[in-house]
Amino acid sequence: MIRPLAAAAALFLLAGCAATGTPGDPFAGMRTGEGTVIWQGEYQFSPMPEPWQLLDLDEKDYSVAFFRACNHGAPGTYPCESTVAYAEEPFGYSRDLDERRKEFFRRFLWAARVDFDEPRVQHVRALGEEALQAETVGYERVLKQKVLAQVVFARRGERVVAFYFTQWRPSDMDFDRTLLEDFRRFIASFRFLKPSFYQRLR
Amino acid sequence: MEGHQRNLYLYDRFNARVAGVSRDDVPTLRHWSDELGLTFPLLSNTSGYMGMLFGTLHKGIPMFARRTVVIDMWGKIRYISDGSPDYREILLLLQKLHQEEGRP
Repeated sequence: MIRPLAAAAALFLLAGCAATGTPGDPFAGMRTGEGTVIWQGEYQFSPMPEPWQLLDLDEKDYSVAFFRACNHGAPGTYPCESTVAYAEEPFGYSRDLDERRKEFFRRFLWAARVDFDEPRVQHVRALGEEALQAETVGYERVLKQKVLAQVVFARRGERVVAFYFTQWRPSDMDFDRTLLEDFRRFIASFRFLKPSFYQRLR
Repeated sequence: MEGHQRNLYLYDRFNARVAGVSRDDVPTLRHWSDELGLTFPLLSNTSGYMGMLFGTLHKGIPMFARRTVVIDMWGKIRYISDGSPDYREILLLLQKLHQEEGRP
């Protein structure tokens, strides 16, 4: 039997961007003695090594993100740059990893008008559990650019979280896959320090 | 919208339902709903009546301003918030309402 509704939410719909710039040590006061940092009191990880820079994000899509330009300079050398991020709420909504992957790639980099190849999917382990890694290349044919994307869908309690690696290049330039090693190390170092908001919501 | 879809299992747990209201017509909303894979209802209110009712209709703007309203089981408005939904705040309120539900 359907129970009476406790509440109904009526929503009036309809509409986010990254800012950069972190002078000095962006992890001042967050460093532990083990080479890791404690981020927002919630996560512990080894920060990406220099010349990766921490991105200061305005939006809620990402929980932490790093950027690296080809010339090791300030952000802005697009389309020759790489980013790594951890997202607490990746695009999509399913709690099944493969379904989430499909939903994710319908939205990911949508605004950049990228056509993705069919992702190569691999079962991996992340955050101590089974996870799904999807790797693909997207093409922006008008501006003649391409992007290598590797996304690892993992679990935090009942919900799906994700680690992203993206690398933009002009279409006639090779990708630098060695940077994926930094990404793998970042994921391997990542720990939750407490149950998430959703795990505590009972 | 996607955030609400992501939280549907929690809304179910708290005995709550969600619906979206927009001034778009039905075919537009159907397309949008299919595109996003939404499984909760979107209501088309082209006349804007509900916008007047909930105070989201602004002169000269042909769409509703974004607003989240939570109504309890007794029909009482318990929460109004403008702009992007604060999903955590909404979930905490629904949890509280669900606890109230069981009280005499």
